[in-house]
Amino acid sequence: MAKQATSEAGVQTFSRIFDAPRALVWKAWTTPEYVMKWWGPKGFTSPVCRIDLRVGGRFTYSMRTPDGQVFYNGGEFRTIVPLEKIVWLWYFADADGNRVSPAHHGFPDEVREGNLDEILFEDYGDGQTKLTFTRNDPTATPEEQKGAAAGFGEILDKLAEVVAELIRSA
Amino acid sequence: MHYRMVVNKLSLSSTFAALADPTRRAMVMKLTRGPASIHDLTEPFSLSQQMISKHVACLVRARLVIKQRRGRESICTLRPTTIKAVADWALDFRRLWEESFDKLDSVLQEMKHEETKHGKASDK
Repeated sequence: MAKQATSEAGVQTFSRIFDAPRALVWKAWTTPEYVMKWWGPKGFTSPVCRIDLRVGGRFTYSMRTPDGQVFYNGGEFRTIVPLEKIVWLWYFADADGNRVSPAHHGFPDEVREGNLDEILFEDYGDGQTKLTFTRNDPTATPEEQKGAAAGFGEILDKLAEVVAELIRSA
Repeated sequence: MHYRMVVNKLSLSSTFAALADPTRRAMVMKLTRGPASIHDLTEPFSLSQQMISKHVACLVRARLVIKQRRGRESICTLRPTTIKAVADWALDFRRLWEESFDKLDSVLQEMKHEETKHGKASDK
């Protein structure tokens, strides 16, 4: 699988090519039964998923940590282009999918939410589909995003490598 | 989603703003190799010491850099906790999507298998 990830201040994208036709990928992305099988990091499960796939419709995703904590995220669909693109507003939610502050889940207020997220479905030929996920941070100014267009991903990668050593020598 | 972000008690907005500038990013990269004086930081750039000091002040405000007086010089060092918060923020995001996409890949293969089993042509 071809993988690609970039990050800039305020905008992060992540893409991958899947060996499956676009209609199938769309189905996996928009059907709760399937989302519950793939959403969340390794070792996490997703016990609840509700999707009302229409503009203005809401969804609720959940993820259960290996030690049993459950977090809910919700969102509202802003743009839906069947088989091509979905844009949604993303936020922390309670079990019913109602928007709550990050503090509700014990996260500090500075944790960002209210992002506009976008997923693009591209037919890559040969029964393959490219998915590109983009997260836009609403608090980043256009100057920040533009100024950071180059090199931010690189610096993060390198910084991650030196972090351990810095902590040790601090 | 920020399942490991509990550790992040910092507002990262000012940090991202500080890192949005290529000169400041280069300065941070230089500092990953160890503490440096303002003079050391000025050398690689065709900028006045005054401009460099402004950039350093911005990095200090963003809590990325600590500036300490040592004799006649000011020595800059990275502040590990902020650097870690930035790295965590990015890595969390990446890990969440990488691992979700890994699982999505398996789900898609299962779905394809199901469709074949039921004799349906997989639509394109």
